[in-house]
Amino acid sequence: MKLRNVSAVVFAATAALSMAACSGSSSGTSSGGSDGKSFEFWSFTGIDAKGSAAEYKAKRPDIQIKLTEVGNAQETAQALTTALAGGKVPDLVLIQGDDLPKFVQQPQNFVDLRTMGADKIKGDYLDWVISQPTAKDGSIIGIPTDVGGMAIAYRADLFKKAGLPTDREEVSKLWPTWDAFIETGKKYTAATGKAFVDNAGGSIYSQVVNQGQEKYYDPAGNLVYERSPQVKSAFDLALKAVAAGITAKQSTFTEGWSAAMKKGDFAVIAAPVWMLGSIRDNAPDTTGNWDIATIPGGSGNWGGSFLAIPKGAKNPKAAWDYIAATQSPQGQLDHFSKARSLPATPSVYKDPKLTSAKDEFFSGAPIGTIYTDSLLGLKPFLIGPDSTTIGIEFTNAITNVEQGKGDPAKAWDAAVTNIKNAIGG
Amino acid sequence: MTTSITPTKAGLPPAPPVEAARRGFTEIIAPYAYIAPFFVLFAVFGLIPLLFTFYVALFDWNPIGEHVFVGMDNFSRLVGDVRFWNAARNTVSIWLLSTVPQLLIALVLAHMLNHVRLRLAVFFRMTMLVPYITSVAATAIVFAQMFDRDYGLLNWLLSLVGFEHIDFIQSVTGSHVLIAVMVTWRWFGYTALLYLASLQAVPRAIYEAAAVDGAGGVRQFLHISLPALRPVIVFTIVTSTIGGLQIFTEPLLINRGAASTCGPIRQCQTLTLFLFEQGFTQFKFGYAAAIGVALFVMVVALAGLNYFLSTRIRPVKG
Repeated sequence: MKLRNVSAVVFAATAALSMAACSGSSSGTSSGGSDGKSFEFWSFTGIDAKGSAAEYKAKRPDIQIKLTEVGNAQETAQALTTALAGGKVPDLVLIQGDDLPKFVQQPQNFVDLRTMGADKIKGDYLDWVISQPTAKDGSIIGIPTDVGGMAIAYRADLFKKAGLPTDREEVSKLWPTWDAFIETGKKYTAATGKAFVDNAGGSIYSQVVNQGQEKYYDPAGNLVYERSPQVKSAFDLALKAVAAGITAKQSTFTEGWSAAMKKGDFAVIAAPVWMLGSIRDNAPDTTGNWDIATIPGGSGNWGGSFLAIPKGAKNPKAAWDYIAATQSPQGQLDHFSKARSLPATPSVYKDPKLTSAKDEFFSGAPIGTIYTDSLLGLKPFLIGPDSTTIGIEFTNAITNVEQGKGDPAKAWDAAVTNIKNAIGG
Repeated sequence: MTTSITPTKAGLPPAPPVEAARRGFTEIIAPYAYIAPFFVLFAVFGLIPLLFTFYVALFDWNPIGEHVFVGMDNFSRLVGDVRFWNAARNTVSIWLLSTVPQLLIALVLAHMLNHVRLRLAVFFRMTMLVPYITSVAATAIVFAQMFDRDYGLLNWLLSLVGFEHIDFIQSVTGSHVLIAVMVTWRWFGYTALLYLASLQAVPRAIYEAAAVDGAGGVRQFLHISLPALRPVIVFTIVTSTIGGLQIFTEPLLINRGAASTCGPIRQCQTLTLFLFEQGFTQFKFGYAAAIGVALFVMVVALAGLNYFLSTRIRPVKG
């Protein structure tokens, strides 16, 4: 008898265990309720999501925010993918621009924010930014939280040693075009014997390719990367910089890149607004040596994030209220003052709070105006399902030449072959 | 057999037939119930995902979109994909570069640590485990810094003696060596301890007798230690083959400029990293599953081959 009871218990336990394991993803009753007073928010690290949540809580003490900092931006997107596939999703999630296209391709996974009122506010945002979370069927799956306006951060002290101008206005005049930028680099390298710019793939190719009206797809969604003049000229300019020997051959965010930045082994870096924090953290001893000039070609964007509400969210209303309150032009301006994230809402670009913002680490550069100016010349272009893959393959081909392993004459063909292989086209 | 059991039951009153049948059933089922937790967990977290991978490999499977049945297309594409063969080549190269030195170092170390006159033996045995308990991520970051082209400690030392800087991370051979060094560093202590445990089971008297007969350290190693270790050597070869073919974290972390390809020309992208790139950066789950199946077949084949070969290594007659 006793034996039978024990085995019954074991059976029951294992059965329960296996059922729990199988149904864990679909039942999902563990957290939160649909009371409209709380919502679950997945964000990524390094952008002070806690601060944003606390600000909101100060205004709406009745709301509970269950904030999870999942990991970095890419890890958050991966976790979201898994969550969407499994069925247990947060109510609100932050997605970085680079990771956005694959979600926009599958808009059925998200609440169409037009149903929540996005139609009324979409005019607040830069047209080429709000076009990114807009799906083919017209649904809007995300609201922009910030943009990554572009500028060139340069070491004024090193420029002085090389006999170049140091004033940010004059430095900006040195490079109206990318060709002039490379020429300046040659002068710097000739005078100092050191590299001018960190790398060709990130600081040149990725910038130039985003300054056109068409990137890897035409507006109808056809792949045009092989014949797009913007892509070819970006690629050739990057190779030209490599051939001129002005790059430090340090890929962005690698160990060597950080070390070279600390030691002043390169003098300029194409810096989106969020990169300023990276420079400050990486090379704290260089405070006051840096300054910021405009980017060749005048415009550029790298990065920016979006808030989305997954379809299975239990508290879409509470999540939307958060978006509406924090991502209004005024909300984004407030956040800029605190966290230096650049508003995606052009209506505040003339606001004194933004125009008067200066950064002492960068010799008091007026970052508000420099960065917002770079955003106004941009045109929307179609980002397709394979845009990220294509961009990586082109950048890899350039890096390979830069690191001295690849033949520049064959680099373009190699990149195209790799792209075809990767996207199966 | 039945006759030897029957007498013990002979004295008992005959049980009612139903009760006997029920008890018989319980007794038959009970052992299975006791081992069920393991098998249920294994099925849920091991077997079912494995079988599901085979299933997913037959689809063009977007985790958040459509699942289109494509039959063997993923596999036929895989066979013609230069990236797959590149990853396979890298994996085998890194595996050989890491496993062979690791097992040899561990063997020699275990033999030395087993020496009866070694002072602070426990200290040395414990310190060997430090790399093993260090986080792989920390190891990878420190080694990537040491092997850095421009600012690495190793290249600084090389330049002191007049050599050119070596770009370990960007070159094929260099990156393989770097990863192999990391893997070896992490595992040699663990393997050495396994060998040592086995060696300690060998009676001291045999070594003493050998010493009396005039056998030196090398002869003792070859004729006593090595034969005694044969089973555990087979075990470590099989496990390090399985582990070596699944190397992932080290190549992912040494090249943060192009992490999921381990560099611009995929110079150190292993099969698991290729799987990760396809599945979790490109969201091609079907193709990633096909890579997983190919890797599974490779691991089973290589582990089987290893087992076959290493069980045939007979102790040297001496």
